[in-house]
Amino acid sequence: MASAARKWIEADETAKQFLARVFSERPFLPLPPPLHRIPLRPGNVVEIVGPSPSSKTRILMQAAINCILPKEWKGVNYGGLERLVMFVDLDCRFDVLSLSRLLKQRIIRENGNGVGHKLSKVDNSPSRSKDAHTEYDKELFAVSMRRFLYIRCYDSSEFLATLKTLHFQLQKEKEAHGSGVYLLMIDSIGAFYWMDRASPSIPPGSNNRRSLSLQNVSDIAVQEIQKILVVHPMLVLTTKAASLQDKVASREVIRSTGQLSIESNLDSRIIRSSTNAQLYREYMPSVWQSFVSHRILVRPSDDSEYPKQHIYLSEWLLPSLKLPDKFTINDDGTYIVL
Amino acid sequence: MAALMYLECGYPLIDSDFRNFCASHNIISVEDFLLHDLYVLVISTEQHHNSERLKEGITQVLTIINKQHQPWVDGQELLDDALQNKRFLPTGCRSIDTFLHGGLREGYLTELVGTSSSGKTQICLQAASAVAKSWGKIIFLDSGNSFSPKRVAQIVTQTSDLSAYEVDKALQEVMNNIVCFSVFDIFPLFEVLHQLKNNLRSQKDQHIRMLIIDSISSLIAPILGGGAHGHALMVSVGFLLKRLAHEHDISILVTNHMVAGEKGTSKPALGESWRSIPHIRLLLSKDQISNISSISVLRHPHMATGDRVEFAFQ
Repeated sequence: MASAARKWIEADETAKQFLARVFSERPFLPLPPPLHRIPLRPGNVVEIVGPSPSSKTRILMQAAINCILPKEWKGVNYGGLERLVMFVDLDCRFDVLSLSRLLKQRIIRENGNGVGHKLSKVDNSPSRSKDAHTEYDKELFAVSMRRFLYIRCYDSSEFLATLKTLHFQLQKEKEAHGSGVYLLMIDSIGAFYWMDRASPSIPPGSNNRRSLSLQNVSDIAVQEIQKILVVHPMLVLTTKAASLQDKVASREVIRSTGQLSIESNLDSRIIRSSTNAQLYREYMPSVWQSFVSHRILVRPSDDSEYPKQHIYLSEWLLPSLKLPDKFTINDDGTYIVL
Repeated sequence: MAALMYLECGYPLIDSDFRNFCASHNIISVEDFLLHDLYVLVISTEQHHNSERLKEGITQVLTIINKQHQPWVDGQELLDDALQNKRFLPTGCRSIDTFLHGGLREGYLTELVGTSSSGKTQICLQAASAVAKSWGKIIFLDSGNSFSPKRVAQIVTQTSDLSAYEVDKALQEVMNNIVCFSVFDIFPLFEVLHQLKNNLRSQKDQHIRMLIIDSISSLIAPILGGGAHGHALMVSVGFLLKRLAHEHDISILVTNHMVAGEKGTSKPALGESWRSIPHIRLLLSKDQISNISSISVLRHPHMATGDRVEFAFQ
């Protein structure tokens, strides 16, 4: 007993070892704009909130690509992390062809950069560069795609069943791939909001049993993710569809909250931006809201300055950076617009 | 979800001892397990003399839970499924097919939004004819008596350059392949969709390639406004459709009418909470003077919002 206690308080690594371990276990993943402003690490829970559509899933895909690509492959630097991504699709709308196209595009681009650099003095003929743009490394593509793990959930009970067995799945994947999951993505967290809102807090005719109500589902989901993060540190990226505050949307929400007295203490409140303009109405229970460590708002801009491009606006709400960004999205990735 | 008492024959550890232990924590079904902190449950087994067996029982329930979500797949498997099993079906209008990179994709829920007489039903009938002619069966759920076999016959006759005898045969085939149901209410809609799901699972209904609901908004809009339940039913329909589309490689086409919005504008009848349900939303409009129709993208997995094509109905 005493020796066990002594062993427990003994130092088991130096600061240098500790730092080395942290950097290998929790390496830093460069995230695509507009997520690049804040250094995000495993253990953080990021919520990308915005109207539908506002490129939220697209941002997740670009982040996933940074994670699943290797750092280097056949002498070409891809700057990836070579780690696994878990994508929990609650919207059931994920388009794998988009992911595949973006990944191909990225491989071709990085390859082109490398090849172009090496060949620039030797061969400048257009046919060569054309080759680089149609050919991509199929092997690299396949190993990267295999690092992307996907599940879809059609209701909250499937979502909770997924979370309850996630620990088991994480271990299985770690053994199969030799590297752990770095990114856990949930797209999008409010997908079952209305279904859960309608299920009664207490199931009829039973004593003290719980039901899949919005509050219970959020409680358990947060609890499970928290526990998993202790054992498997991951960066959690979630999206949430929210309607921007216009009259139509607010009427819809108010009307329905008025009807259901049981949940009338909803955690709904109006979120204001740095300029104090009303942004969107929060609808997830407070247990989820306080679980989120970082929150960013994205929305399409109605700016007519750039007619041909699609420009989106983003702003960090948590922590509150009073630095709105403008970014654009195309097949090559997401870019900040100055 | 299954009550624990029915599970014993398949899972011997879920015996009466284990069930009594669970019942003392208000756990009666597998669903109750989902809503409990299993770590707390494991700790509380310590107070019982047979704690090891109870813990094994909990692990056994976890293996049951592990079967109650969809399987995990990797990106390559997902891509292979999409490339091999999710094909593009024709809309019956070549310029729309080209615009949509091939047509209406199996596995997708596509929504057509448009004012009345913008041609929504016309597109539905054209797609139904084209798919029924050479791809397989269509289920047409009709909420406003809009399905017209005459119109289908006209489309088939117009679009084929065959002899009269062959046209007759083709027409017969097309008509055989279109199954039309009149649905005037949300609950019959659920009934038909659940029946379809069961038939597809037991492989009774094969070769169903497309499901058309014209219009889904007239079934759903009346139930909205009465609180959360209307929205819950709407979202449930959405998930049921997406499940059918994905699991059975069916292309689903639904229509949504427009209602008056603010300042004289019009907006889709199914608004904010429906918006995030379809894969693809297309806005259909028609210039009444020039008679030229156009489709523009409201949302698409990879096409930009606002992309637009003009075409003329035959």
